[in-house]
Amino acid sequence: MSSTLPDSPLTTYVLNTGDGVPGARMALSLHRLDSLLVIWKLVTVGTTDEDGRCPGLITKEAFKPGMYKMRFETGQYWESLGHTSIYPYVEIVFTITNHNERFHLPLLLSRFSYSTCRGS
Amino acid sequence: MALSLPRLDPSTSLWNLLTTGTTNDDGRCPGLITREAFTPAVYKMRFETGRVRESLGETSFYPYVEIGFTITDHSQKFHVPLLCSRFSYSPYRGS
Repeated sequence: MSSTLPDSPLTTYVLNTGDGVPGARMALSLHRLDSLLVIWKLVTVGTTDEDGRCPGLITKEAFKPGMYKMRFETGQYWESLGHTSIYPYVEIVFTITNHNERFHLPLLLSRFSYSTCRGS
Repeated sequence: MALSLPRLDPSTSLWNLLTTGTTNDDGRCPGLITREAFTPAVYKMRFETGRVRESLGETSFYPYVEIGFTITDHSQKFHVPLLCSRFSYSPYRGS
């Protein structure tokens, strides 16, 4: 599967570890903290594909150093599968100092636990 | 590690701070909330992970960790452990 979207320096991957499948069709959003106003500004909204990925999150030019937050609508995701979960959403806040690097933000998710790490 | 526990007020969509605390040498924080105050709602636990790393002279990818969770049955005990390192973290539901 090829993407016509420009290569994003920030990528994500959602894995539903409870069912052993990619976390497909999950809504997510990327926000950047406006350091002057101290409020979160929405950068992108997207949905994971059948592979649990969401290409084209941000362009290299827009990916400035700062504090970002990736929000995954995990509650909606579990509801769509007919399940409940104790996590209504997952928000991962991270700091970017060197925006020339690539950052991979995986989310391994089950109904009662999740795990994230910094990848590349 | 400093932490705080706000509860979401569904009528205003605002977070109301219930408790702040600091973990002890065991990484625990007793006395977070009383049974009466632990009403069914959406809560979030915020861990000041970045500050801990700074005090150790390290940087961290995560300036803080916030875990939002839903309580439906407040008669149960809820344990919200957090396994964290500089470049990863994982909460899970304990009891």
